[in-house]
Amino acid sequence: MNEKSIEEFLRENKPAVPDDPTFILETRRRMSEVEGIKGEVDRQRRHGRIVLIVTLLTGLVVGALLSALVMLHPTLPDVFDSEALAHVVAVLQPWKYYLLLPVAGCAIALGLTLKIR
Amino acid sequence: MTQERFITLVKAEQESLRRFLLALCSGDAALSDDIAQEALVRAYVASGSFRGLSKFSTWLFRIAYNCYIDNVRRVRPEQVPLEDRAALRVPSGDATDASFRYQALYQALDRLPEKEKSAIVLFYFEDRSIREMADILQIPAGTVKYHLSMGRNHLKEYIRL
Repeated sequence: MNEKSIEEFLRENKPAVPDDPTFILETRRRMSEVEGIKGEVDRQRRHGRIVLIVTLLTGLVVGALLSALVMLHPTLPDVFDSEALAHVVAVLQPWKYYLLLPVAGCAIALGLTLKIR
Repeated sequence: MTQERFITLVKAEQESLRRFLLALCSGDAALSDDIAQEALVRAYVASGSFRGLSKFSTWLFRIAYNCYIDNVRRVRPEQVPLEDRAALRVPSGDATDASFRYQALYQALDRLPEKEKSAIVLFYFEDRSIREMADILQIPAGTVKYHLSMGRNHLKEYIRL
């Protein structure tokens, strides 16, 4: 076959696509399945985010309560039967007001990260 | 992109897309439709990232071509002899001239390397420009022309009517 006849042969013999009315229906069905999977993934992502926020808030509340307890009861270190722990608490005592700052900073950073995602 | 908008665009392209894959799959309509459906699902999932930098049709064909290549890599065609596969793909009305021509065409296309086959199919069956073909096959335009020329030369040897 020469160049021209091969080109003619190809152009004259485009494959005929068998008519299939179910093709688009099948496409719609698969797209609905994709939507279902997307919905489930979104649901799980929301669930994960809520768990994260609840954990964060719980940590903040517990931290704040403990800080308040330390501030309201300066003699609290006495209840621990550990000199090392008492020493640590005593060292931290003058900085107790500033300890909440990094905690708040972390909370804000996490909040912003979650919002961006 | 909404589901309805996507379906509307797909309806306009489905015949062309199915013919492209049918030729790549050497006439295996069931396989080509499976690949087409897989491509459409992939396209729908990725439709949010379609920025309109190329035509929807070109973008869709690129995804379909990638699906086809994935399928070729997954399935080893050597497992079934060429003659057996080609025989399965002859359209109905086996005794007609058209059937023989299709058989000769598909057998010849089957012997071409993937890039040459894709270039021939896009250029002669889908009337795509070299630029669109380069977009779909993700190769430079010069390479497309090379594959097209090589494919034509090979087909001249392979097709005996």
